[in-house]
Amino acid sequence: MPQRRRLLALAVVVAVSVVAGIAQDLQLPLKSNSIRFLVMGDTGTGDSEQYETAAQILKWRQKFPFTFALMLGDNLYGSERPQDFVKKFERPYRALLDDKVEFNAALGNHDDQNQIYYKPFNLDGKRYRTFKKGAARFFVLDSNYLDPEQLKWLEKELEGAGSDWKIAYFHHPMYTSATRGPVIELRAALEPLFVKYNVDVVFSGHEHLYERIYPQKGIYYFTEGGSAKLRAGDITKTSLTAAGFDTDRSFMLVEIAGDELFFQTISRKGATIDNGILARRKVRTDLSPARNPATPVHQ
Amino acid sequence: MKKRWSCVALCVLSAMYVADFRADAAAQPANPMAATLADFKKRVDGFLTVHKAAVDKVGALDLTKSPKEIADRETALGEALRAARKDARQGDILTLQIGKVFRGIIRKEFARRSRLALKNREEAQDELPAFTPTVNQIYPTTYPLATFPPALLKELPELPKPIEYRLVRQNLILRDSEANLIVDVLPNAAPPTNALGE
Repeated sequence: MPQRRRLLALAVVVAVSVVAGIAQDLQLPLKSNSIRFLVMGDTGTGDSEQYETAAQILKWRQKFPFTFALMLGDNLYGSERPQDFVKKFERPYRALLDDKVEFNAALGNHDDQNQIYYKPFNLDGKRYRTFKKGAARFFVLDSNYLDPEQLKWLEKELEGAGSDWKIAYFHHPMYTSATRGPVIELRAALEPLFVKYNVDVVFSGHEHLYERIYPQKGIYYFTEGGSAKLRAGDITKTSLTAAGFDTDRSFMLVEIAGDELFFQTISRKGATIDNGILARRKVRTDLSPARNPATPVHQ
Repeated sequence: MKKRWSCVALCVLSAMYVADFRADAAAQPANPMAATLADFKKRVDGFLTVHKAAVDKVGALDLTKSPKEIADRETALGEALRAARKDARQGDILTLQIGKVFRGIIRKEFARRSRLALKNREEAQDELPAFTPTVNQIYPTTYPLATFPPALLKELPELPKPIEYRLVRQNLILRDSEANLIVDVLPNAAPPTNALGE
């Protein structure tokens, strides 16, 4: 009997050690009922780097069980034959698809617009759309063709979005320190709406790197266009750059709990390259300046 | 008495002049730009009728898990449209008159842009391999589509889905996005961006 107890105690110690080991790198709090998602961009190459990054995503999902993913465009580079959908999307993310992770794609400049009919991308036959997850409202835009009709739709949807977290995502970045620079016409068209209707966070791709920008007019901007392609050494650090990574592929894990958004950016090799906590913009503007966190707490 | 007759004569002449002016006004459109844009709309609607007939022939596309279904339908729709428009020529929709108006709109809009905006536009074009778009050509499926400037979209007449504007270098194209088909081409519509904003 004492031997049985000792074995049981040993098993408990081993189990606790394993859990601690698994969780040691995770910086996200895993709060109960939180919204958990993956952010990746410019994925559709079908090359080994995409597959290796996908494998790393899968490893981290053991620690951080996200239920859906945002795809920031350029979902398929080059030809879009049926076998390309398999090679550049279905095969690398097979385990996630099998596990019912919901992919929510935006269109990039390399994407055929008929991807809107491809069910696993959840575009629902539209170039732009909105969807809700818990207390977060997501706005998927088509930055390739920002026509007046889309802007009108966006304003109507933002206006009616209430007090939820408002998260917009689309392919081209409005702010970036990458060599090609931001798409300023996009900024001119979208920023006034984002500011007016309290958008909290914006995710973009297009530039093949990771970057976090200091809040602009109260809004946090992330570029995550390096989940398969890489433009090595492309970041020229400016006063906008809060954090950047341009030496390998990467992806983001995001958790929203109450008025806080936690993020952790991870490289293809599994290293954490950035992480932090953001407060919801509505909450930040309600706080006194002294309590208003201008930047994420973890740099 | 003489004065009275002069008044009557003046009234009659005025009435005749007004009547003549009205007849002229009825014969010619008051605003040539409006007439050109109305003509453009009519031609676009004409294409849309052909598009709808082609969709009726190949069937509508619903959401699907099958990429093959999407690819096959895009190809079939493109082929049906090319067959229905086998005699289509450059300028059928973007006519000389419409081209003149559009070139004016586009060049003025480009001239108003900052250097950075023009750099963005140039870089969007730089991603495109060099090719000359032609009417009834399937837009090369492995090529990206250059992002269309949102500010310019505000200036050009709105297009019904699935027709869209795109710039291929200096050419403005009308593209059927469902069939991935180049519907018409306006050459030299946009100025070379490196010539502006200095």
